[in-house]
Amino acid sequence: MSNNWEMVIGLEVHAQLNTSSKLFSSSPNQFGSEPNENVNFIDSGMPGMLPVMNFACIEMAIKTGYALNFNINKYSVFERKNYFYPDLPQGYQISQFEFPILTEGFINIDNDGNQKKIRIERAHLEQDAGKSIHDIDPKFSFIDLNRVGTPLLEIVSYPDLSSAEEVVSYMSSLRQVLMYIDVCDGNMQEGSLRADVNLSVRKKGGELGTRCEIKNLNSFKFIRQAIEYEFKRQIDVIESGGKIEQNTMLFDTSTGETRAMRSKEFSHDYRYFPDPDLLPVNLTQDQIDKVKTSVGELPQAKLDKFIKDYKVDKDIAKIITVEKQNAILFEKMISETDVKPKFIAAWLVGDIFAFIKENNLEVSSLNEKTKEITDLLKLVSDDVISNKAGKEILPKVLNGQGKPSDIVKELGLEQVSDSGELEKIIDEALIGEEENISKFQSGSDRVLGYFVGKCLKATKGKGNPKLINKILLDRLKK
Amino acid sequence: MSEIDIKRISYLAKLKLPLEKEEFYANSLKDIIKWVDNLKKIDTSKTEPLHNVTEKTVSIRNDEINKSNSVNDVLSNAPDRAQNFFKVPKVVE
Amino acid sequence: MKNSISHIKNSLRNKKISVEELYDEFLIKAKSSKNNTFNLLLDKENNILSIKESQKRYENGNPLPLDGIPLGIKDLFCTKGIRTTASSKILSNFTPNYESFVTQKLLDDGSIFIGKNNCDEFAMGSSNETSFFGPVKNPWKNKNYPTDDLVPGGSSGGSAAAVAEGTCVASLGTDTGGSIRQPASLCGIVGLKPTFGSCSRWGIVAFASSLDQAGPLTNSVEDAALILNSINKHDFNDTTSSNHFREDYSNDINNKLDQKIKIGIPSDYLKDVSGDILSQIENTKKALIKHNVEFVDVEFKTTEYALSTYYILAPAEASSNLARYDGIRYGVREDGKSLDDIYLNSRTKGFGDEVTRRILIGAYVLSAGYYDAYYRQAQKVRRLIKDDFQRIFNDVDFILTPTTPNEAFKIGDKLDPISMYKNDIYTVPTSLAGLPGISIPSGLSTNGLPLGIQFIGNYFEEKKLLQIAALAEKELNFNEQ
Repeated sequence: MSNNWEMVIGLEVHAQLNTSSKLFSSSPNQFGSEPNENVNFIDSGMPGMLPVMNFACIEMAIKTGYALNFNINKYSVFERKNYFYPDLPQGYQISQFEFPILTEGFINIDNDGNQKKIRIERAHLEQDAGKSIHDIDPKFSFIDLNRVGTPLLEIVSYPDLSSAEEVVSYMSSLRQVLMYIDVCDGNMQEGSLRADVNLSVRKKGGELGTRCEIKNLNSFKFIRQAIEYEFKRQIDVIESGGKIEQNTMLFDTSTGETRAMRSKEFSHDYRYFPDPDLLPVNLTQDQIDKVKTSVGELPQAKLDKFIKDYKVDKDIAKIITVEKQNAILFEKMISETDVKPKFIAAWLVGDIFAFIKENNLEVSSLNEKTKEITDLLKLVSDDVISNKAGKEILPKVLNGQGKPSDIVKELGLEQVSDSGELEKIIDEALIGEEENISKFQSGSDRVLGYFVGKCLKATKGKGNPKLINKILLDRLKK
Repeated sequence: MSEIDIKRISYLAKLKLPLEKEEFYANSLKDIIKWVDNLKKIDTSKTEPLHNVTEKTVSIRNDEINKSNSVNDVLSNAPDRAQNFFKVPKVVE
Repeated sequence: MKNSISHIKNSLRNKKISVEELYDEFLIKAKSSKNNTFNLLLDKENNILSIKESQKRYENGNPLPLDGIPLGIKDLFCTKGIRTTASSKILSNFTPNYESFVTQKLLDDGSIFIGKNNCDEFAMGSSNETSFFGPVKNPWKNKNYPTDDLVPGGSSGGSAAAVAEGTCVASLGTDTGGSIRQPASLCGIVGLKPTFGSCSRWGIVAFASSLDQAGPLTNSVEDAALILNSINKHDFNDTTSSNHFREDYSNDINNKLDQKIKIGIPSDYLKDVSGDILSQIENTKKALIKHNVEFVDVEFKTTEYALSTYYILAPAEASSNLARYDGIRYGVREDGKSLDDIYLNSRTKGFGDEVTRRILIGAYVLSAGYYDAYYRQAQKVRRLIKDDFQRIFNDVDFILTPTTPNEAFKIGDKLDPISMYKNDIYTVPTSLAGLPGISIPSGLSTNGLPLGIQFIGNYFEEKKLLQIAALAEKELNFNEQ
């Protein structure tokens, strides 16, 4: 395979909106319920049932519009996309086609340390379909309509992406923003965020090729695998003299390969037309403006703030801003203490995240414990206890075993910071060390370490190392 | 008017017309389409389509859950079911 | 009038008859009817609780507006626990677990459903010959061919014939392009299609959502007003339901018109009509002119396009509305080796010829390459039709037209779909514009068959419309002819 091929990729991302009820019915919008538990007569496409729009979905779309720099259209129209499938009870999907609610947005993604602007053509609201379960019985499929009518925002990018890495970066940036503005829970495993990848190949700088669409990818790993496989497949076809046929592909997660869906006798023709059960959406400027305040700070703004205002290292700031709940926890801690943000940040991404991971917790579960955490960090930063002692106590504090100061007392971990006491210990330690003292005075710094160690030992590790250092230097320089 | 591809139209409508009826429907469709073709002579270049005579904006509901039926209410008319699933022959993708 | 709602209520109030006796009387008659007007009749046991409660209310002296009145319900309204078929094979085993909004309102007002009226399959037809349960016969006979069975009109043919034969006091029908008014006219009764958006479509098996509207088929204009009072309510669950102020439509219905009324007669509607039809309009003019009513000629610019527009838009919406009937979740499932076979077999065998035809038309006019030329163009012309009506309503209070271009014809006579579609020439334009229209019987043809006239009102002016119709009804005196 020659390496002068490049890929051109556009993404259709389906984000499930985290409303309480569905887009056009008041059934619960909830994952993981018993089969057909969240299904009413509208969802199951019973005769004579009519859709009524959930306004929260419009508000979430507007919010996304602000966050992704879209034109927010006052006028949008729900249409019917007609096709037959057992998990599509109405025989059509209600979606927006000619007049979507959002048009012409963009997002900046991180591309090898540089920013790249990815243009987004449109985003529209539509209903999710149900699920057919194929693995219970060898001969039958079982249909669960719980997911029917779950609100989706389909976000369609321009073909601005040119590698699997960029696609993953784009997808994770989108995910981050949608979670920040609280419109999608971002849970890819549960299908809250899925992508259809449109990929074509061309010789570098050449004409665009025919594209294939790989449907329904719900993990970064699968996206990467599918793109790499499909890229190679298309090049192989062309280089061996074949032609790419415009096809809808499925990605087989067990083999890591893509394959064309059973080709139909005739091409698809969805026969979109405005849903006569639903009048057009006509938003007022006031309705659009109202949503603006709820958008909140976006990930990029937070990152900039953490670096500039809080002086947090860029890499650490990035880790914290990956997820909104990290940033919330961090900012809550900052607001409750005068300990330097940079100091808190280091502890957060270090020992605190380690504790969360080890115990399989939600980051947000620590929001209740920020007072205890910052009290502990204050003890460390004020040298009341050592860094080491802090690390030792942290799990106890997080497990709710008491106030940090009490634990410190109980375990006797308080550092000796009384200079009088330390002076006494140091003076004793220096007795009989004339040889080493003169070594220090003739310029051997190594000896200082030896003395600090000796003094710490004498305090059973509780002496404040900084203070010991200072007093020692004082004495030795005399 | 172009020829009507009755096979394609019935495919879209998910209907399998018996062969002996294909021509019947094709002719019938052709007649009707020819009959409605008179609309083409009207100049509508300055006319907006009318989706609905009620030209208001869509009415909305608040995001509230209302469970008013049981699972069985939804499944009671099912031609075939297994536990609380609808059951169909295997879907091949 | 003997069978009017108010007359029956008086008899119930005065204990001349009990609610149960009344029900029995109608049920026995319905069971012995040879006109195939009902797809399903409800035995007394099904309704015994409602009958007893209704009786109690009469005895307590606080009956509800429609208390104890036996009604027929077109088999297109979903009725909880009662089979609802849309006269189609594909729904012939379907029993909804919910009650349509409008039938619930009728129940709330004390009425009792005697059964589900036969109709055209999925309300698609103008003669009630497309029903899976067989054609409905018009109780009227052509005096020159008295052995011929005649159509009752459609699609609410069973409803109209049942009221005409006296097997229910009134019936609830639906009108998409004339399906209440046209059969009412052919059966010699009153039929009202309210303004689109007046009566909720929730729970009505959908045919063409932007046109479907429920309405009463009754013996009198006053009865139509009483039923309208019950069903004309805003429904939050139908987005197209209007929340305008509703009046009491039966109150003051016989009041004298206190202002000068101007009625337009579209001259273009009366080209090429028979003398029988023309004389209905002439008689009505004569009857009303003494009541301070002025008649003027008006002319539509869009009449010749209305049927084409309708036969693009209604099938387009129908093709999509009927996509849900697939034998997967409810309805009749036909055998098949694969899932696709089940779909194809259930739908192909489940739908009759006319429904199949309209689904095909709909799929065609929406398909790629034809959408703009047919569907979008029809939507644009629909606006021109609406505007055309508004232009005329700038000058007149009502429009008077024949309801149908012909009297009831023999079952099986009209095989060609286009000549069948032309039955709706006078009712379809009103439907496209969403305006209210009422058909009242105006006289008999030379063959002794009933003919009707249609009054068309402006949006949500049902009150006025019913008043002028009541006046015409009184003057034309059809029921005493």
